[in-house]
Amino acid sequence: MITVTERILSEDVLKHIYKCEGDGRRATLDSIAGVLQINQDEASTLVSKMAAHDLLQLQGEEFHLTEAGQNYALQVIRAHRLWERYLADETGFDEAQWHTQAEHHEHHLSPDEIEALSARLGHPTHDPHGDPIPSANGQYMPHGGQPLTSLEPGQYARVVHIEDEPPIVYAQLVAEGLYPDIELRLKEISAERVQFFVGETEHLLAPIVARNISVRPLSPEEVTELTPAEPLSSLKIGETAQVVRLSPACRGPERRRFMDLGILPGTVIKAEMVSPSGDPTAYLIRRSLIGLRKEQADQIYITRDVVSNRP
Amino acid sequence: MLNTGQMNPPDNALPNAAQDILDTANRLRWEVGNSAHEKIVETIYTDAARIADRAVVYPDTPPRFNLDRTIDHLVTSRIWGFPLMILLFTLVFWITIVGANYPSAFLSWLLLDEVYPLLKEGSAFIGLPWWLDGLLLDGMYLATAWVIAVMLPPMAIFFPLFTLLEDFGYLPRVAFNLDNIFKKSGAHGKQSLSMMMGFGCNAAGVVSTRVIDSPRERLIAIITNNFALCNGRWPTQILIATLFVGALVPAYLGGIISALAVVGVAMLGVLMSFAVSWSLSRTWLKGEASTFSLELPPYRPPRFWQTIYTSLIDRTIYVLWRAIVFALPAGAAIWLIANITIGGTSLAAYMVNFLNPLGLIFGLNGVILLAYVVAIPANEIVIPTVLMLTVLMTGASQYGAGAGVMFEASHQETMTLLQAGGWTLLTAVNLMLFSLLHNPCSTTIYTIYKETGSRRWTTVAALLPLVMGFAVTFIVAQVWRLFSLMG
Repeated sequence: MITVTERILSEDVLKHIYKCEGDGRRATLDSIAGVLQINQDEASTLVSKMAAHDLLQLQGEEFHLTEAGQNYALQVIRAHRLWERYLADETGFDEAQWHTQAEHHEHHLSPDEIEALSARLGHPTHDPHGDPIPSANGQYMPHGGQPLTSLEPGQYARVVHIEDEPPIVYAQLVAEGLYPDIELRLKEISAERVQFFVGETEHLLAPIVARNISVRPLSPEEVTELTPAEPLSSLKIGETAQVVRLSPACRGPERRRFMDLGILPGTVIKAEMVSPSGDPTAYLIRRSLIGLRKEQADQIYITRDVVSNRP
Repeated sequence: MLNTGQMNPPDNALPNAAQDILDTANRLRWEVGNSAHEKIVETIYTDAARIADRAVVYPDTPPRFNLDRTIDHLVTSRIWGFPLMILLFTLVFWITIVGANYPSAFLSWLLLDEVYPLLKEGSAFIGLPWWLDGLLLDGMYLATAWVIAVMLPPMAIFFPLFTLLEDFGYLPRVAFNLDNIFKKSGAHGKQSLSMMMGFGCNAAGVVSTRVIDSPRERLIAIITNNFALCNGRWPTQILIATLFVGALVPAYLGGIISALAVVGVAMLGVLMSFAVSWSLSRTWLKGEASTFSLELPPYRPPRFWQTIYTSLIDRTIYVLWRAIVFALPAGAAIWLIANITIGGTSLAAYMVNFLNPLGLIFGLNGVILLAYVVAIPANEIVIPTVLMLTVLMTGASQYGAGAGVMFEASHQETMTLLQAGGWTLLTAVNLMLFSLLHNPCSTTIYTIYKETGSRRWTTVAALLPLVMGFAVTFIVAQVWRLFSLMG
């Protein structure tokens, strides 16, 4: 008989060995006990039970997953990443909490619930950090990015992955407003700092932080966000501008709301008035007056060179 | 590179061509990635917008003088925005308070002074047994009549006025002006509107949170609506402040000081609502989805009669109906506990004596606690119930009309009666605080359940203010006693 605690622990063991195999590290009794925060005796009882269920094998000092173990591990990872996707798209939890919450929920979703969640989210391929979500039969494609620090100055690239460990570094990347799918241009790189541009916005990071961003280099033809753009919030009262794009970080209900209001590439927007308390600002959008808060206006990129849509 | 190492071989192998298509689809799914969905939707929207932009022709060129913008720049201006807002709402409340007096007095005269004696005569005529007469007329009829006389007129004035402002297009501008303050406490600017509606009636306030489309902000607005001092609680505040707080200063200052005390309690409610919004958005409601948008529709002349009609039907009658449904059983309960006796002592007396020690800890008393238990259905009947129970407990039979019969008395009589019941200034202050901070009435609780569809949030909305009320009155009572010991 396997208790719930034992099941959760063994799922964490599977994830640990799976990650080790992927990174070329060695999964040993020591490392398992360390990651699960249990003592050696408990760890060895646990792995022998799991070996009896044909989930893993001991090869010398190292543990390796059997095919069944690998499939099981992929399903736990699938649940984890789907849950992070769900938290990012449909709830108000902020980035720092996604991982912790998913660590809990990955053990409590039945295969049916995982399927329903995936369907509800439109079968997403990647979690909010850019990690691939294995499909129901365990298929996935690694993001295949390279560290930002390996780019040449002047090169364009698209962010494919933001590492969420350690949390301190991740928090810094989130604070900089960096997400998978944004396009950037590397300006300068030195031992002290990495300087790059996202649209008109300049970012400066320490190389050790920048290394946690994985990118895929883009040839100039592939770049879609070449148009220089600034956030809508920079528009002054009375000024008119045209929407260039919505930030990739703006997803789920928020993005749908914007599109419902007709905030789309090409839409002309005029800043009409600001609340006497300083925020929100009312914008004239398609002949309606819409109040938007600053952090929302930050998600909309505009250009002041208005081109008429009319023939 | 597709990781197919773990893929289970298909049970029934498909013909090669079909399998190829599936494989290609699978590979493409990974190549187009996550945002494909979003990009397709965006393209469809953009195309639709482009077609509309080309096809739709607006006949009017924008006029040189734009009335809407002129009004907007005035009502949201840094200098005039807030004073105009305060002026307008003061006017609305003033019209409500002053205007409601007359129909209230009329209804009270009609239902209590005219119809009630008639009914009593009628019941005596057909020879109803005393207990049935008491239960139906003294209990259920009187409680309901009370609720109608106190509740209906202000609501029939306040809601149409409010709806007229809404129809004109002014209310969204209020939300626009106040949004920043609400944003800081994690709420939506439109909560200012449901809060103001709550000053009329919390049940109507809860319904009016429908204008907030962000789920988290709407829940915050629902849970904190009870901190808007509703119409049913104003009379309690005003009476107690006049009797006890106003009496502290010379007579010519009494009116202004007691008015300030009532406004102070209402302001405390507003502060509480910000504080609770702030903590809810950072604790229990952290994970609820949150979006923001605030449409500022064009101004238009209000459709006067239509507005009056719909606000009467949708808000006034709806709230009144629910209040009646809940007041009937409350009236019955009040009469029953006052008239069912065990060993010569009424049930109410047992309960008051039981609750008294508890009440004293919170600077209240057993009568007040029992009144709040039986008056859960409607705050309007708290004071009549308190008076009736005090008569029952003190045996001051020169007041009132018998056990279980609610009544009103002149200020002087009320004061003498309450002092005989052991009331002090502390009791009065804590009653005012407790009247602000306790569970919403059952009409509101039921509405919260209807609106949220969740037992959990309904429980939170019902118990949170009650716990806060006990905490605040407890602290006030302890500090008060400490100071009076030192003094």
